[in-house]
Amino acid sequence: MIYIKIALFGYLTAALAGFFDKKTSYILGSLSSISFLASGILSYNNDITITLMQISQNVSLSFKLDHLSCIFIIISSISWIAVELFSVDFGMLYRKRMAVLLNLGFFGMAVVFLSNDMLTFLFGYEIMTITSYLLITEKSNSQKGAFLFLAFSELSTILLISAFAVGFINSGNINLSNIKPSDNFYFLFLASLGFIIKMDIAPFHVWMRKAYEKAAANVLAVLSSSVTLVGVYGLFRIISATNSSHLWGILALSIGAISAFWGAVHAAASKGIKTLPAYSTTENNGLILALLGLYVLTLSLKAESTLATFAYLGAVILAFAHSISKTLLFLSIGQAQEALGEDEINNIRGIHSSVGKIPAFGIIVSGLSFGAFPPLIGYAAEWIVLESIFQSSQFPDILDRIISSSSGVLMALAMGFATFAMIKLMGYSALGYDHGKKAKKISVAFMNSAQLILMTAVFLGGILITFEFAYLGHKEFVIGALSVPQGFLLASAKPVFGVIAPLFYAVVISVFFIFCLLIYLKKRHTTKKVTSWNGGLELKENEYFTTSGYSYTIEYILRWIYRTKETLHNKKALVTTKDVAEFPYNLITDAAKKLSFYISRYIMNGNTHQYIAYIVIMFILSFLIF
Amino acid sequence: MKSWALFGITRKLTEKFDKSDKDTKQLNRIFKNSLHIYPIDVGNSGDLNLEMMALSAPQYNIHRFGIFFTDSPRHADILMVLGRPTKAMIEPLKETINQLPEPFGIVVFENSQLTGIDIETLKLPNVVAHIKEEVDAKRILSVLLDIMGK
Amino acid sequence: MRLLGVFEKDSKEMLLLQDKNTFFIQDRDSINESFDNYELLKNRDKYIGNGKTEGSGVFNFRYGPVTGGVSDAGVFNIYTHGERILSVNIDPSYKKRGIEKLIIGNDIQTSLMLSQSICSNFALSHSNAFLTAVEDAGNFSIDTTTKRIRIIAAELERIYNHLYVIARLSKGASQNVLTSHLEGLFEESLRTNQIFSGSRFLKNLNGFFIDKNTIGSLNEIKNRTEKIKKDFKELYSHSLESWNFIDRIYNTAVLTGKHALSIGVTGPTLRACSIAEDSRTYNKLYENFHPITKDRCDALSRMQVRAEEIMQSCEIIEQQIDKISSEEQHKKDIDISKISGMGIGYCESPTGLVAYFIELKKGVVENVYISTPSVFGFKAFCDSFVGYIFTDFSFSYDSFGINFADCSR
Repeated sequence: MIYIKIALFGYLTAALAGFFDKKTSYILGSLSSISFLASGILSYNNDITITLMQISQNVSLSFKLDHLSCIFIIISSISWIAVELFSVDFGMLYRKRMAVLLNLGFFGMAVVFLSNDMLTFLFGYEIMTITSYLLITEKSNSQKGAFLFLAFSELSTILLISAFAVGFINSGNINLSNIKPSDNFYFLFLASLGFIIKMDIAPFHVWMRKAYEKAAANVLAVLSSSVTLVGVYGLFRIISATNSSHLWGILALSIGAISAFWGAVHAAASKGIKTLPAYSTTENNGLILALLGLYVLTLSLKAESTLATFAYLGAVILAFAHSISKTLLFLSIGQAQEALGEDEINNIRGIHSSVGKIPAFGIIVSGLSFGAFPPLIGYAAEWIVLESIFQSSQFPDILDRIISSSSGVLMALAMGFATFAMIKLMGYSALGYDHGKKAKKISVAFMNSAQLILMTAVFLGGILITFEFAYLGHKEFVIGALSVPQGFLLASAKPVFGVIAPLFYAVVISVFFIFCLLIYLKKRHTTKKVTSWNGGLELKENEYFTTSGYSYTIEYILRWIYRTKETLHNKKALVTTKDVAEFPYNLITDAAKKLSFYISRYIMNGNTHQYIAYIVIMFILSFLIF
Repeated sequence: MKSWALFGITRKLTEKFDKSDKDTKQLNRIFKNSLHIYPIDVGNSGDLNLEMMALSAPQYNIHRFGIFFTDSPRHADILMVLGRPTKAMIEPLKETINQLPEPFGIVVFENSQLTGIDIETLKLPNVVAHIKEEVDAKRILSVLLDIMGK
Repeated sequence: MRLLGVFEKDSKEMLLLQDKNTFFIQDRDSINESFDNYELLKNRDKYIGNGKTEGSGVFNFRYGPVTGGVSDAGVFNIYTHGERILSVNIDPSYKKRGIEKLIIGNDIQTSLMLSQSICSNFALSHSNAFLTAVEDAGNFSIDTTTKRIRIIAAELERIYNHLYVIARLSKGASQNVLTSHLEGLFEESLRTNQIFSGSRFLKNLNGFFIDKNTIGSLNEIKNRTEKIKKDFKELYSHSLESWNFIDRIYNTAVLTGKHALSIGVTGPTLRACSIAEDSRTYNKLYENFHPITKDRCDALSRMQVRAEEIMQSCEIIEQQIDKISSEEQHKKDIDISKISGMGIGYCESPTGLVAYFIELKKGVVENVYISTPSVFGFKAFCDSFVGYIFTDFSFSYDSFGINFADCSR
């Protein structure tokens, strides 16, 4: 398969080129991503296996492109093309090393998607982890956050290694498709946990706040969409190879729902321009996990079920929606953040006039998509989530129904909070009056085109949802009814339970929009334009409504979740919220700090033998802790 | 003691309104049946603010004529400038006028010439009535009805 | 001892002080006592309140100068991080008309007109305080009937102002039926004023001699006040039954008695802290007068004090009308164009104590200092509003019965 070779060699060449010229490296990288996309599309309907190395009779290293890997190749390569294009301009602000690492990282992820065996998988996985770690450190003061990321990633790797070891012992084979995980509880448990950690599911998301605040925008786009997507892919891979487990389904559904709720709640209270989308990742991946849980749960009850298929497809669509929307969001925010040099949502108001129309529009499109605004792709994805949950009323066991409906409640709340958070992000960053801050001059042609590509993808992904279902091979969900022609209406079940037609929605909205636009254009010259009404005086800088003001009400009402604390001292006031999921980690860090203090006092008192023993013990301890 | 509901409906406080002499002419035919007013205090001694409260009293029942107070100048047809402006209120007054949707009219009630700036020096646009002597709620209503063309 | 004002006289800083029923001025250097409200009074034209608050996410929710909620021109700088009010700073400069400056150099009659135009709804209190200050400066007294007419006017002023405040409170709580009835009563009381004095805001009762035959029919006034009293009593008892209404003002904007005294607040605000202080008790013509007090110190208490004072005022008016009818009036000749000297006058306005210090030279005002109750009231509002949320604004603000016209002169 020539395109795969072009892509993989392309990434390596691009990485090498990075040592000499950043621009060439990124352009080569984007061409490689296009090639990778082509390979995904072309081999979609025919499986390809490429043997790399035959180690023994049972053990061989190989690539394999099947239906599932092609889906994830298509999803991820679209965002990689955009990230590479974006970096042509954006990367100029950073060292050459970034180009090398970024392309190496994509190479690693490509290997993960292509791998047919555990060793190749882990090889790609580790390349991805290490390059991501180094990419975070590209920005100054990011060591601590980067180390946290590395710690969690290595925990994930260790779990995967253990899982694969169990799998190998069980089946005597390292081939991924030969594992029957349901036969082995330990494999399923360890591998799932490893991937869940990679997906930033709560409570394994606590590294994000520190790492995301410091990293560069294109790196964040990769971390948040593609790296977590690898985790999602891993889950898909292991559950597609398994006979479904009822317990796994229940656990995934509940953990996913809790994670979605937790992420959305904390996104709603976030004040950092990067932490808000980071929590949104926890929320979205939580939804994906929950849908996968629902899929497995449904399958365990009934072998053939439209609900199971629908939930599975929903998880795919959700992964697609999250991947492209989140990439777009981080790229747009990153451009503005870099141009204005501000980290708080409060200080970045009015991007549309201070930085540019395209990044502002990018934030709005992605924000609306996460806020489930029709006809964008996020709308279709979240509709699928809710429709699937509604249908879980068909479960025969009352306990299953209770769990699925309470998870549904949490997820619905999560969607509400996510919308609340996204309105905050859009309203305070893209829109509003600017602060009169001067934006740094950066060349934007490639950055803009990258964002335009993703915006188109978010829009088309939404309105063409019926065609995506057909492409995924499930035409049974695509119908025509209620005067919508055949092929444009998406149904959630057979017999029909609920329907949407985003394309028609788009048509109706556009007609109204064009109608209003025409009226506006005609009356443009006689329309009175004034600034907003503020009691007869112009607003001063300290009179603008702040993000804290926006979210204070929920921070106060849900103070038992947020641990909200209001302080007022010497005419200085502050409202702080906490993510209690961080408490155990803080306890561990504090304990480690105290321990090392005592050890330095009582053990490390100049005795060389004790010192060496200490180093060994600490090494083992830190390995165990992370 | 009557029950509260009965208390409310067993009293007829609304009076027949006899309009006084004509102060001003009709502003625009579109305001014939509905007029939304926004009062702005620019430095009066408080009497005109209290007259605004009196104007909404049931004795006058201004709603029967289609007159309503608004909470924002953006919804108003008529801006009622109450008093002669202090220096600090000139800018807010101009900004308020800027926020009025077209077509609009401005009515100035001065009540007292002891304080403030002569409003004519501000050259406000669309002044439909400028009344310098003391006015009460009855007179204000009469001016508003003139503007409506009733 | 209460500090009522700080002003310059002969390039010395003087304090206007009150010790029960004695009012006096004293050089600041010659007094040892310190006053909590000194800074407030010194800066009363620049800002009133409890300062700015800063911090991440804290912003100034500026309310005013042009809003639908507050009819007066003034700015409330409300510092908050969303809902909870952290501090309030008031900028009274938008309504500053500089009336004290206008008064200086004018004769007594013009100055009286100017003092009435400070705040029309306290016009009678201001003119009463001004006139008593002139009487104090000229060291003469006026006839009892004129004094009684002034008392009637002062009580009429109290009635319509209290009605206004209670109507505003009920409007804030969207009690539309109650508001309509109160507005109706308010209009009736303004009409009563017009019958009594020819002016809806009692502006025509000038001078040191008011002939009882020139004012409106006292019988009619008596009948009308009786009707207002009867109607209001019924409305008031209904209003206390509406939990929607009471819930909004109960425990809202609490100002403790100690704090009220340190600010220097007088009037219904102080009496709502169960402190029975009323300058009307110093006037012997008020017979059997006992100030009305309540003890919860909140907006509800302030409303209750005002409501009961309406009924008390009606009784006082009836009592005074009976006295006037049975006594003969003798005109005293007073030549105001020759008065020279210093004088202090005061009057219990509906919101609290109005006090005037004036210096006259041959009938011309040379120096004047006006202490108005709204200055103290605004400070009380700012302090009591901290910790509440903006939804409580109208209940807090209106319950004090304050306005910018009175505050910034």
